[in-house]
Amino acid sequence: MFEWIHQVPILSVITYVPLAGALVVIFGMKSENSGGIRRFATGVALLDFLISVPLWFEFEPAGELFQFRESASWIPSIGVRYEFGIDGIALLLVLLTTLLGVISFLSSWSAIKEREKEYYVFMLLLQTGMLGVFMALDFFLFYVFWEVMLVPMYFLIGIWGGSRKLYAAIKFFLYTLVGSVLMLLGILALYFYNAGGLLGYEGLGNPRTFSILQFHEIGSQIPGELQWWIFLAFFVGFAIKVPMFPFHTWLPDAHVEAPTAGSVILAGVLLKMGTYGFVRFSLPILPQGTWELLPWMVALSLIGIIYGALVAMAQKDMKKLVAYSSVSHLGFVMLGIFALNTAGLNGGILQMINHGLSTGALFLLVGVIYERRHTRMISEYGGISSKMPLYATVFLVITMASIGLPTLNGFVGEFTILVGAFNRTWWWALVGAVGIVLGAAYMLWMFQRVFFGPLTNPENENLEDLDRRELLYLMPLVILCFWIGLYPKPFFAVLEKPVDYIVRKVDADYAAAVATLPAAGAETEEAR
Amino acid sequence: MPQIPLRDFLYLLPEIFLLTAGLLLLLSSSVGRGLGSRAATLFSLATLAATAVMVVWVAQDAPPGLLLAGMYVLDDYALYWKLLLLLATGLTVVLSCRFVEESGYRAGEFFSLLLTAATGMLLMAGGANLLSIWLSLELMALSSYVLAGYFKHETRSNEAALKYFILGALSSGVMLYGMSLLYGAAGSLGLAEIAAALPAAARTMPLVIGLGWLMLAIGLFFKVAAVPFHVWTPDVYVGAPTPVTAFLAAGSKAASFAILVRIFYTALPGLALDWQIITAAVAAVTMIWGNLAALTQTNVKRMLAYSSIAHAGYVLMGVLAMSDDGQWAVLFYLLAYVLITLGAFGTVILLERREYAGETYEDYAGLARRAPLLAAMMLLFMLALTGIPPTGGFFGKIYLFAAAVEAGWTWVAVIGVLTSALSLYYYLGIVVQMYLKDSDDVTPRPLEARGLVAAIGFCALATLLLGLVPGPLVELAKASVLPLP
Repeated sequence: MFEWIHQVPILSVITYVPLAGALVVIFGMKSENSGGIRRFATGVALLDFLISVPLWFEFEPAGELFQFRESASWIPSIGVRYEFGIDGIALLLVLLTTLLGVISFLSSWSAIKEREKEYYVFMLLLQTGMLGVFMALDFFLFYVFWEVMLVPMYFLIGIWGGSRKLYAAIKFFLYTLVGSVLMLLGILALYFYNAGGLLGYEGLGNPRTFSILQFHEIGSQIPGELQWWIFLAFFVGFAIKVPMFPFHTWLPDAHVEAPTAGSVILAGVLLKMGTYGFVRFSLPILPQGTWELLPWMVALSLIGIIYGALVAMAQKDMKKLVAYSSVSHLGFVMLGIFALNTAGLNGGILQMINHGLSTGALFLLVGVIYERRHTRMISEYGGISSKMPLYATVFLVITMASIGLPTLNGFVGEFTILVGAFNRTWWWALVGAVGIVLGAAYMLWMFQRVFFGPLTNPENENLEDLDRRELLYLMPLVILCFWIGLYPKPFFAVLEKPVDYIVRKVDADYAAAVATLPAAGAETEEAR
Repeated sequence: MPQIPLRDFLYLLPEIFLLTAGLLLLLSSSVGRGLGSRAATLFSLATLAATAVMVVWVAQDAPPGLLLAGMYVLDDYALYWKLLLLLATGLTVVLSCRFVEESGYRAGEFFSLLLTAATGMLLMAGGANLLSIWLSLELMALSSYVLAGYFKHETRSNEAALKYFILGALSSGVMLYGMSLLYGAAGSLGLAEIAAALPAAARTMPLVIGLGWLMLAIGLFFKVAAVPFHVWTPDVYVGAPTPVTAFLAAGSKAASFAILVRIFYTALPGLALDWQIITAAVAAVTMIWGNLAALTQTNVKRMLAYSSIAHAGYVLMGVLAMSDDGQWAVLFYLLAYVLITLGAFGTVILLERREYAGETYEDYAGLARRAPLLAAMMLLFMLALTGIPPTGGFFGKIYLFAAAVEAGWTWVAVIGVLTSALSLYYYLGIVVQMYLKDSDDVTPRPLEARGLVAAIGFCALATLLLGLVPGPLVELAKASVLPLP
């Protein structure tokens, strides 16, 4: 039914539809026509989502690793190509991006009242940047999208943010830029090592290229010391984005000051770029560097899990609480990834999606009540479940998803991560489990303080429950949380092949074991 | 005395034509009331365009090689620079039109000085002998000194011109002395002859050569405004009329780099290591200091002055790589840099309503509402100066970093990327004002001065195109590099 998508450069279409939409808004629509702009931009996001859905049906989990490939020459003189393609990991992230795109556009209708034209232009540009990051198979192209997307995000925080928006916006931009320029040096080192060599290392003599797949091929041949340095350079770039402890300080500022839709995109998609970077680049290209720095990575992940949870517990502001919970949750993702086995990676990647869904939803929910009362302080509320039963129900479901209650998505992800971590080193899983308990504690405590007890604050008397538009954008997230919680199989199915590929690249023992025992990947991993 | 064939002068036709046109313009302005600003602008533009055509024609017709007994050379490298410098001058002419009209002085004088400076720059691009290089550099510099003092009745302009003149003369003297030492050691002023004689001379008189090189390099570092020889830059840039500042920051700097690269690459490979270490140190200090000092500025022209210092540091990074990649990175980057800088200064000029207004950050408050297109273009220039894709600034910078990494100067590249991340802060200072701050004045203002807006738009479009499809110009820059020894 969707065969037609093989006939068109579908990935480019998905990436540039928002850009085209932005250009139409810039040149074709008057700022006074805010209603029209709002509907048009949301329509573009919806269209983009609808075009991306067929990917899910046409993607063959057993097929080629990277599908829907597009390839064209871009800057031949230095070996830069325009290469697009997605594997199962990118597929999930692309769908998450387009879905959260529509949702965040819808949620902006009531939240954004000023300078709407610029707002929707920046949101659309942001979509293009994020989609390009997940699809690029050329490191140069990847970097271009990676940087391009900083600019609209900067404006989203800086123009429509809260009271300290200027500070938060510049902090976000500077932090991520410092990370990415160091990453750039790592990319250049790979580029030259693959070709003519650098710094006294004799290169491999291949034609100059930024092809990510080519870098995957040469991963095992890069000398250890060089791997160590490149890993470190990548680490700074990705860790700031994730953000890993101690690079996380920009996150609460950015989140608290960003408008709701900005927070949804920031938590839902932008943070995933960091973890995606580790999965796509650091692990397969730099296996030796990964192993050498593994203790540090895991230590920072574990600290992040516990620290994020403890700080979240101390927050009085709901949005800040959710922001710090992200630090903790992303620590989980990193723990799963750095378990360096199939279970850990599967869980880590699925948890990226889960976090996007549940934290996205949490930010939306906080936004809903903020629009009604213009405060996010937990102490201002209490007992509002009687006034907003529907809101309380949705909030409860998402809270449960976030803390990992079985039948909901968080459980599947966290459990798989813990299995992976346990297989690598048992006490990593133990620390992780403590983090889950803490997570349950702060989420439930917040829920209790906001929704239960007597309704003491008279200003909450007239709170209105969710309206239809709000339900419309929250429902897909709730449904997806249940879907992944009850029937995660299709998700793991698309992840199987890419995860196997990455574990083979990073773990030579696993690759050897799989070679002798084909079709028994999971068992050999358990046996190790 | 070698015989100079008449044909050589024919090949100098573009330069001779440009100079003649400049002098005619000067002459015309002493007759009656002289040419009007518009007429002078058009005349200058036509002259520059004709010169560009002649330059290309000569390059196609003439066999590449030395002219005038080894004083002057026609090669792809010179061709690239000549076209780039003519472009820079042409854009400066357009940027100056309204300003000259409002200044009330004779238009012909201003433009004739621009044209003589351009003649100097073209001669610099083709200089193959230290003496001819020095003379053409002086032609450019003397014209620039006068241009910097163009506001005859403004103290700041006078001060700028005087400072520029005194420090410029000092540096020229130092450079000339360095040249004479090299001449003493090598027995010739021709770049190729020096290169041939250096290895032998380096054994017998290392000190003379070292000192000679150092003094020559100091002169060149002064001209490109590298730290610690940059102290003249901020005051001159702020004091000079803004179109002149733009010219100094773009054209003059690019021309100085043209001779710096040629001298370093053709005359001095014999002492490769020494000069690379010193250049690396200068590049590092320049990037650090230029960016740090720019952080604290409240005046936009001063900020752009420090930013131009910082950018000299980035370019030096490509120079010290001593490779083909480094060289074409320099060529490409300076093209992008010239366009971006002229665009940014053009915006400043457009905002100036009195002689020195439009200089503080606050003057940009709310610009996004008053003039969305202008603000968007300025945003593009600021992002390009920072090195954010997809702009020419990003691609230029990435090639410079790549060249440094490839050549093993990783520590310089690390300083480069970190300082360029830092530079975001002050470039965004303007963006913050334009987009995030409101001003009391929100009435949309139609953009007058069409030519000026067109020039800014051209720079913006070129900046964007250099980022999106850099391929053709990369090829051009690659084809224009000097052969490595």
